[in-house]
Amino acid sequence: MEEYIKKFSDKVIELLRNLPQEEITKAIDIIQATYERDGRIYIFGNGGSLALATHWVSDFNKTVFSHHLDKHARRFQAIRLPTTESELTAWANDVGYEMVFAGPLQNYLQDTDTVIAISCSGTSPNIIKAVEVARENKIPVIGLSGFNGGKLNELADAKILVKTEKGEYEAVESVHATILHMITRYFVDYFDHLAENSS
Amino acid sequence: MIITRAPMRISFVGGGTDLEAFYRHSPGRVISAAIDKYAYVTVNRPPLLRHVAARYAIAEAVAHPRELKNDRIREALLHFGIESNVDVVTFSDAPVKTGLGSSSTFSVALMKALLLSQGKKADKGEIAELASHLEINLVKEPIGKQDQYASAFGGINIFQFNPDHSVDVSPVRLDFKQKSNFENHLLLFFTGIARDASSVLTEQKANTDKKLETLKKMADSVYEFRDKLVAQDFEGLGNMLHDGWLLKKTLASKVSNSTIDNLYETGLKAGAWGGKILGAGGGGCVLFMAPVEKKPVIREAMKNAAAAHQLVEFNEIPVRFVQSGAEVLMNNSFNTNFL
Repeated sequence: MEEYIKKFSDKVIELLRNLPQEEITKAIDIIQATYERDGRIYIFGNGGSLALATHWVSDFNKTVFSHHLDKHARRFQAIRLPTTESELTAWANDVGYEMVFAGPLQNYLQDTDTVIAISCSGTSPNIIKAVEVARENKIPVIGLSGFNGGKLNELADAKILVKTEKGEYEAVESVHATILHMITRYFVDYFDHLAENSS
Repeated sequence: MIITRAPMRISFVGGGTDLEAFYRHSPGRVISAAIDKYAYVTVNRPPLLRHVAARYAIAEAVAHPRELKNDRIREALLHFGIESNVDVVTFSDAPVKTGLGSSSTFSVALMKALLLSQGKKADKGEIAELASHLEINLVKEPIGKQDQYASAFGGINIFQFNPDHSVDVSPVRLDFKQKSNFENHLLLFFTGIARDASSVLTEQKANTDKKLETLKKMADSVYEFRDKLVAQDFEGLGNMLHDGWLLKKTLASKVSNSTIDNLYETGLKAGAWGGKILGAGGGGCVLFMAPVEKKPVIREAMKNAAAAHQLVEFNEIPVRFVQSGAEVLMNNSFNTNFL
């Protein structure tokens, strides 16, 4: 058992040691720019990735400012898509499963916004469809992918690829969670710094 | 109605190498940062008003865009084939001719708004090229492309202007602490002297062939500036600004004058490591890199020097870097074909 645990954790540690730093920095700059223009951030994924998206939204919208809630009139507007399970099933049932993200995204999307798409394979048709909507509208795309990155990694502006063998969902999603938490932590520290250094 | 805005910029080293007269020989390079001072453009297409109206420092209303006095708005409307039923209104956070790139910033916001009014969206590079085309080819300003790129992209970047007219954009990635440290070591003053970039740049363009080696040196220095910035060596950056300013003064006779020289010397004597005049020269803003604890002394000395020169519009401009470039603040036009 020890051996098994070590093998898995070594794999994740190795991935963490080789994070795509330049691309993560690019993603942070994109989010910073979105905040400055009061834009919104849409985040989505399938299955475990959708759970990551939901988790990140709650952290990002609230925790980033929690040390100085009264000091920041403008906060982040991160929105997980679709926003309700009714929308999810309506698009899936009435139009097709490939529209569950692109459909709701089209309802919301404005010129100031940003998209974060999460897909281990980088090939899920519903993810790619939504990313294409963003690109047609010249909206910046942050792509979190795994395996060989797939089409998502090709299309994204910030190409956060956690490169693994095909099928390593658990390791990829663990590292995606770490990256998303790091982005949250960066902005917690940033806004703390702003609040503590302004009179 | 559409409202866009685009940020102004401060450029550190390499200014002048973005002129085609130079980069057709050898790649030009500039390192600059977008700041939280903006030009705003509003475009409306009133269906019941046939006029072509432009409101900036003055208000114009004419029957056809070719009658407009404002050259940028005139040429932009003609470029897009917009000949009637249009209002263009502009606001600015800073006076013109400060050396913060405000006229190109206006062009960027204008092109973005007009493009959008025709239902077209473009990426940052396309907007920068459109604004450059407007100013350089249509309005025939003797300027380069650095300001249009700095404004369209936002952030801190190295722009490389290639002989084939393409432009490479390399962002300088800093975290929030590095950025705010950098901001804290800068001091920016508007001298109160409105400079005219065109006359300085026309002379500089004519001198380009004689000054190729100087300009190459300036273009090469952007990487050293970036490395010192990442290493947070502010004294080194101050020295580089100073050396760059001395080189720039050799490019054209009107880059500096006795008042500018005196203001600059005042800052150095009060403790600044180095600095430069922003923009083409002849006036505009003066930028210093200084130890944080020397800033109050420098402020005081500069205020006194400006008063002695009777520069009533002299003022400090607080600076914060911004990451977002040209952006849409409002767009409530939508496709009404189905109505």
